[in-house]
Order: sequence, then structure tokens, then C-alpha cells
Amino acid sequence: MRGRNLRRTLVAAGLVAASAVLVLVLAVAGLLAFIVTSAGAGSSWNASMDELSAALVRTEGGYAFTGGEYLAEKELWAMLVNEGGAVVWQQGKPADVPDRYSLTDVAAFTRWYLSDYPVQVRVREDGLLVAGGPKGSTWKHPFVLDMDVLKTIPFWFAGLFLLALLGVLGLTALVLGRQFRREQQERDFARSDWINGISHDIRTPLSMVMGYAGQLEADPVLPPRRRAQAAIIRRQSQTIRDLINDLNLTMRLDYAMQPLRRGSLHPAALVRQVAADVLNGGLEERYALAVEVPPEAEALTLEGDASLLRRALLNLVNNCVRHNPEGCSITLTAAAEGEVCTLRVEDDGGGGLPVGLAEVGLAPDGGAAHGTGLRLVEQIARAHGGALELHRAARGVLAVLRLPL
Amino acid sequence: MAYHILLVDDAPELRRMVGELLEGAGYAVTLAADCAQARRAWTESQPDAALLDVMLPDGDGFSLLEELRRVGNGVPVLFLSARDEDEARLRGLGLGADDYITKPFLPQELLLRLAAVLRRVYGAGAGEVLRLGAAEVHWGTGTVRRPGGGEAALTAKEYALLKKLAANRGNIVTVDALCQALWEGPMVGYENTLMVHIRRLREKLETDPSHPQYLLTVRGLGYRLAREERL
Repeated sequence: MRGRNLRRTLVAAGLVAASAVLVLVLAVAGLLAFIVTSAGAGSSWNASMDELSAALVRTEGGYAFTGGEYLAEKELWAMLVNEGGAVVWQQGKPADVPDRYSLTDVAAFTRWYLSDYPVQVRVREDGLLVAGGPKGSTWKHPFVLDMDVLKTIPFWFAGLFLLALLGVLGLTALVLGRQFRREQQERDFARSDWINGISHDIRTPLSMVMGYAGQLEADPVLPPRRRAQAAIIRRQSQTIRDLINDLNLTMRLDYAMQPLRRGSLHPAALVRQVAADVLNGGLEERYALAVEVPPEAEALTLEGDASLLRRALLNLVNNCVRHNPEGCSITLTAAAEGEVCTLRVEDDGGGGLPVGLAEVGLAPDGGAAHGTGLRLVEQIARAHGGALELHRAARGVLAVLRLPL
Repeated sequence: MAYHILLVDDAPELRRMVGELLEGAGYAVTLAADCAQARRAWTESQPDAALLDVMLPDGDGFSLLEELRRVGNGVPVLFLSARDEDEARLRGLGLGADDYITKPFLPQELLLRLAAVLRRVYGAGAGEVLRLGAAEVHWGTGTVRRPGGGEAALTAKEYALLKKLAANRGNIVTVDALCQALWEGPMVGYENTLMVHIRRLREKLETDPSHPQYLLTVRGLGYRLAREERL
């Protein structure tokens, strides 16, 4: 089961990694494709200044230009400005382009626009060759980059890449985690359903065992020995019932399927009710049950699930009874210790608690049948944000439920 | 007068066992195995109370109860269920069920709870009398009669207190539950008032109030009304 999960997780991780690589490759390819296809987009204006310059040759008393077709094809105009700032040659120069230029004019149009015409320039021995395109055809902007900034570019790229990678990995973990949790939940539900079904199926036949045993036990016609035997059957069937109930609830708490029905409750009233329930249920005479509530604990209130806490205390009392077949006195106490409410169940039977807590089922996998009850108490305490402590007391066992107030 | 009980459960062995148990306790019993039979029995025999299984082959007990309540049938109903989660479901539905018993149950437990429900629903009628030794409590008039002692009227609180104890006769009722019944609140602050009410009740009920025979104190827990003596 675990191996299969691991393999599935690995496969899923591989798939996500592969898709991340695919996305990356596609993005790079797309960028390259864009650069390649749009590299020529500016070519109508972006004339080859080498070609133009070569086409303009100085002759005796003038210039010979052979690039006329090239200019026309590209819808360009051209001119040559000499060292003095005068236009000495031009071809197709628009009327709104001046014939003389100062040093500042040249500096300006070299960088920006010449009367709103985008222009390119080339320095020649005899002056400055200027080629211009139509107004509004090209966006021209000088690009300046600090060397220090330029040097950090690789780091920026690396950082962004790492960020993207982290994003992809985080997303993957999230998706996988959710899937894993859902699968686990489905498994838990299936298991819970199964245990639920089994306990349901056991309960009806057990009703019959318990019912007839109870009737035989109360039948005055039977000899006392037979009635005592019936009582044993009845008691054992009750033990089976308690086990089933504990098993069911323990599992529901384990898988967080039993929501707490929290409400305000009085610990003092709770311990009294539990004691009354135990006594009303017929506690045998060799057991004594007492309740102690110090006056200051009477007014205590606690947020909690009354039926679960009642169950926890009942289990602790039953535990005392089960481990002391010779009889004992059991004391239930509700008290406050600072911010904690303590519910204690103590017996003086000297029986009971084996040496290690693991042996009574408080270990994580405590599967020992007689530990189910204590395990459940521990779970209920934890569900309330509290804890269960078991101590060897002076003469018996002391169980303390500590619950935050 | 024997109460008539309708028992609806799909397991024949359980039907037989509980049926025998109820008849043994003096009830008249009608058995039904599913919702259809239950509906028929309901109109034909008009039971005083019903024990309903939750899971039935042709429906569930909850919907059956809903159906009955819709037509204004207020007969007390006790559920028998083999699943823990049914109780939460029942509470969620807010159906007017009178009690809920989880299988497996002890025969005595079933009889006691059925009797408690019947007492709660029918037992409080005028003319009903609670006998505590020589004293007679007449619920209809709210008075206590003692031979030679004449008649004493119960105050509203004494009446409620005695009612609560009588409904749980033989069982301990905690002081908290009594205060809840009398003042609809926790015990804190009412403890002494409760003791005063108990003392006055004893003066009206008991032959020797300082050595009560019927209204018994269970130290540290609450009070208990002694079970009826078998004659």
C-alpha cells in the first residue's frame, strides 16, 4: 500500500516536472520565434547605412547617388550635412526639414527626431549622412543602461527563474498533498464504514444474548446457580457492547469524523451525573462510589462536549471496576487548578494499572482490548485540548483528566 | 388497564424476545416487521406507545415517525437503534421522539424506560395517585393525604420537585438536574433553596421527616424517591 503510494507520488511529481520543463521550452521557443519574425519589421525604415553611404560618392563639384531605387522602395529620404552644418546633398528631403543645422540641432536629432521624422545617421569624412523615414512610422528611443545594472541582469534572471521554479514546485506540492489527503480520507471513510457495519451487525444478535441472559438472571424459577451463570453471560455481553461502542467512537475520533458538540457545562454537575448514572445502573455492593467537589469548584464552567466527557468519566470508572474484581472505593473529583479543570477518578483497590502506560493502551498503537477504553478517554481529552494522566496513587490508581478552562 | 405497545423491528428473533418481555411485563403487544405493517397496525390497533427500529426494510423509523407526527399522532415513540450515529441524526431532525435506546440493551433497562415514558405521558392525568407508604399524592389536585394527617397542598416548586423524582422513581436524581427542572439553570446559588423545598416536602410526605423513608438523600449527589414496595 505504502510502496504503491510512493510510486504514484513519484510519477505525479515527474509529470509535473515534465510539464514545467515543457512550459519553459515553449516560452523560450515562442520568444525566439517572435524575435525572428519581427526582426525585419522595422526594415522599411531601418535602412542599411553602409549601403546608402556606399551609394553616395563625391564627384567634382557635387555628388553622385546610385541608391535612388533603394530609398524609394523603403520610402526614405536622405541628406548629407557638412562640417559647417549645411545640407550639401539631399534626395527626397521633405520641405519642413531645414537646410542648416547648429551643433545642438545635430546632437538633438541624432538622439531623438528631426522635425518629427525618425532618422538614422552615419558619420563620413565629408560630413554626416542622414536617412529619414516618414513621420510616425517608427518609435525611436535611446536606450541607456548602467553598467552595474547590466552586471546584475544575470542575477535577476536567475532569481526570477528560481521564483518561477518555486512557484511550480509549491503548486505541485499543494495539488499532490490535496490528492493524497483525499485518498487517505476515502480510505478512512471506507474503514470507518466497515467497522460501523460490523458493529451494527454484532449489536442485533448481542441484543438477543443480553436480553435472554437478563431474563434468565431474573427468573425466580431457576436455581440460584443457574441464575448466577446467566448473570455472567449478561455481564460479559455488556463488556462486548462497551468494547464495540468504544471501538466505534475511538475510530470516529481518530478520523475526526465525530465533530465535538461543544457547549457550556458544569464539571461539578457532570461528575455528579456520572456518579448517579453509575449508581442507577446498579453498581455491585463491593464497590463504593463517592463524589467530591470543593465549594470553589461548584461555579466552574467548561466549554466541551458533555456526552463525550461523560463517556470518558464512565470509562474511567468502569476501568476501576474491571481491574478490581474484589471491590474498591472509587472517588470522582472535579476541581480547578489555575486555568485547568481537573476531573479525577481514583480507586483504592490496588489492582489495575500495569507498570507501563503502553500496556494499558496509551501507546499510539495500543490495540490491547482492555486498553480501548483508556485510549478513548485519552482521545476525548485531546479533542478538548487537554490530556489524560495516569498515576499510581497511594492505594490504587489515579486518573486525571486535565481540560483547559 | 394494560397499555398497548406496537413493536416494529425487522429481526424476527428480536421481535419475539422483546414481545415476550413486554407481555411478561403486562403489556398488550402488536408486532410489525416493516413500515407497511406498522402503518396498518397503527390504524387498526391504535397503540398507546411504539418501539421503532431505525433501519427497516422498506424505509426508516425516522420517516415513519415524521409521517405519524404530520397527521397529528402524538403517541409516544421510543427508538431502538443499532447505530451510534442515529442518535445525532435523530437530534438533528428535531423529531418528537420520547426516548432513544441503543442495541444491545438489558431487558430491565427497556422496561424501565418504557414505563418512564408512559408515566410521563399518561401517568400525570388527573386522578393518578402516587403512593408513598401511608401518604397519597394526588397529582390532579396537587395535594398530599395522610391517614389522620388531613390534607396538605403542594406548592408549585414542591409539585415540580416531586414530579421529577417520581418520573425517575428508584433512581438518583442529581441536585443539578433538580435545579434545572425547578429554575431552568445550574445549581449554583440554589443549593440551599433546594434543601428548604426538600425539607418542606418531607414534612408533608414523611411520617418522621428527620428520618425519611421515601424522599432519600444521596450524599454529595442528589435525592432519590424510594422504589415502590412489592406487595
